[in-house]
Amino acid sequence: MGYGHWDDNAYAAAKTFRAAKGEDDFGYTANLRAKPAKEWRVAPALDPKNAIRECRDSADHADSTPIAVLFDVTGSMRRVPRIMQGKLGKLHGLIQRKGYLADPQVLFGAIGDADSDRVPLQVGQFESDNRMDEQLRTIFLEGGGGGQKSESYELAAYFMARHVVTDAWQKRGRKGYLFIIGDELNKPSLRAKHVRRIIGDDVHQDIDPASVYRELARKWNVYYVLPNQSSYYNDPEIGAHWSGLLGQNFLKLDDPGAVCELIAATIGLEEQVVDVDGALADLADIGSAAEGAAVGKALTRLGGRSVVTSAVPEPGGPDDVVLR
Amino acid sequence: MNGHVVVVGLGFGDEGKGAVVDALCADRPTTAVVRFNGGAQAAHNVVAEGRHHTFSQFGAGTFAGVPTHLSRFVLVEPFALATEARQLEAAGVRNPLALLSVDGDALLTTPFHIHANRAREDARGNERHGSCGKGIGETVWYSLLAGASPGEVVEGQEVLGEPGSAPTVADCTRPAVLRRKLDALARFYAPLASPRHSVDELVALYRDFAGAVRITDGGETGRLADAGRVVFEGAQGVLLDQHHGFHPHTTWSTTTPHNARELLGGRPHTVLGVTRTYHTRHGAGPFPTEDAALLGRFPEVHNGLGRYQGAWRVGHLDATLLDYAIAACDGVDALAVTHLDADGPRVVLEPGSPAVDLDDPLAWFGARRPVALAGYGPDRADYRAPVTICG
Repeated sequence: MGYGHWDDNAYAAAKTFRAAKGEDDFGYTANLRAKPAKEWRVAPALDPKNAIRECRDSADHADSTPIAVLFDVTGSMRRVPRIMQGKLGKLHGLIQRKGYLADPQVLFGAIGDADSDRVPLQVGQFESDNRMDEQLRTIFLEGGGGGQKSESYELAAYFMARHVVTDAWQKRGRKGYLFIIGDELNKPSLRAKHVRRIIGDDVHQDIDPASVYRELARKWNVYYVLPNQSSYYNDPEIGAHWSGLLGQNFLKLDDPGAVCELIAATIGLEEQVVDVDGALADLADIGSAAEGAAVGKALTRLGGRSVVTSAVPEPGGPDDVVLR
Repeated sequence: MNGHVVVVGLGFGDEGKGAVVDALCADRPTTAVVRFNGGAQAAHNVVAEGRHHTFSQFGAGTFAGVPTHLSRFVLVEPFALATEARQLEAAGVRNPLALLSVDGDALLTTPFHIHANRAREDARGNERHGSCGKGIGETVWYSLLAGASPGEVVEGQEVLGEPGSAPTVADCTRPAVLRRKLDALARFYAPLASPRHSVDELVALYRDFAGAVRITDGGETGRLADAGRVVFEGAQGVLLDQHHGFHPHTTWSTTTPHNARELLGGRPHTVLGVTRTYHTRHGAGPFPTEDAALLGRFPEVHNGLGRYQGAWRVGHLDATLLDYAIAACDGVDALAVTHLDADGPRVVLEPGSPAVDLDDPLAWFGARRPVALAGYGPDRADYRAPVTICG
């Protein structure tokens, strides 16, 4: 993993050919949904069971930085992966060509509801070439979810904290970027039986989600993006919940179509390569001027801060999870 | 011209073949445009009904709604094909790839060929051949290496490593075969140049390509020709032909009508030779009647300096070269004369003699061959069938 180069031209060509033959950009989902629900399975390449994901340096990419994008694929959130797929070239172009990061490697994953979904967690691999497009298209958009205003984000956070190894951290002590895109709450507790069944770890006690996010924040810059498309956009409980876990890294986004642009701009800002105005100018430059307004609004808090006021402790905090 | 027409350029390219093919297709019901040579380096400009496109792998009859068939003599480059499909879509052509069929035996031009082509041309420095940098010659060369050993010289180029067999369009439907051939290509060209694409990525892309176009057997041109009128669109010009051009400034392609005749298998047809009222050349190579002063007089809208191809050049009409080109075709039945709006064209009648005014170009060309089509500007509306003057 992690070798090769992203190529806009190849990405565009593949999209052109698929469109010409009338093939859905999410063919895996289309095929699976035509089958009875009991046959719905995660694609082997995205199965988190007993898996480790690695983001390694290579001859092509000596200074790899991991970017993980995990989105909620329940109900209305299914638009987000489609938007991501349509704008992948822009995401990569902005991050790399504008010099936000030298060697970005991108992983995609999908989050569902472990209480009710057949495929509650899917996690791909870090890629730096056009396989990231293929990975995105292999995600199963189950579209389930429970209706209890919570999804299994904490399960995904656990996987990212415990099952991902990066050279950026191990060699350079540099954090990766993790974007969770969703519109609901964590489950009240990370259930041991879900960890055993879906990830395969031999865990026998339920875990406090807040402790998972604390552990995660040691190696990752973690953001939660709430796009404006659900009934919960203005629900104060969602904002309070995620701000409590991630502080200012809880981002509200007016335009769900601007998710890709928000991710790129956030990274540019965090890397201190651009300020908010510069990031918006870069967006205009790649033809995303329309998305700029929503991104600008989402980033006001992030760009304006002078002190890190995140609720998560700095690296070096307690490593142990809190069991309940 | 109701029957099959073979359109060939009688110069060094840029004669106006695209506009002529478009005019022919717009004029009569046409079953298909069949490309019978060249590849993605073709650049045929068509201006019609307020639209402009530089046709490269799609036939120049596309604006007239005529499907394209790429015969086995064509080199197919899927990346460029997809780009062209998007351009055509932007110009208002609905699902252009649905208008395309490709002979499974057509050779594939891959990023390996393109990168090798550019590396070689760069290494020539000031001794450039005038290559377009699109991997055409490299694609043909690699296809000739079957049985050659490393170190051997084939067609003037040293064989770098162990060659494999050349990938074809039909291979795109057989991932295992394609992967084997691309692996061999990657190994073969590694000492010269490596594209940034992985073989895995190319296999996936070419599989998508194969799903998007209709792949046929070699009998397709015959079936099309039996179903109705077919226009054969030549690429480049006869004076760049691999056998009749001026080496090394040639293209690795048969630009004469011979491939089209072979595809027609004895069916009756008209060979239409296209010429401007002056000569042009794009890039390096001999050009006896070249006159830089003409560059200002004969403005060029759609051709410019190519990074790999070099400068745009203009000269007087050269009667000797024109007759030579007609002879290289084993004769043409009629002429299509373009750029009749050019300001004061002149002709050099004998090598070394001064250029004389071409007062009545239609009469002058008509004295050589019947003129079937006359173009007075870049637009389809500027084309008409004149009263033919026979000599």
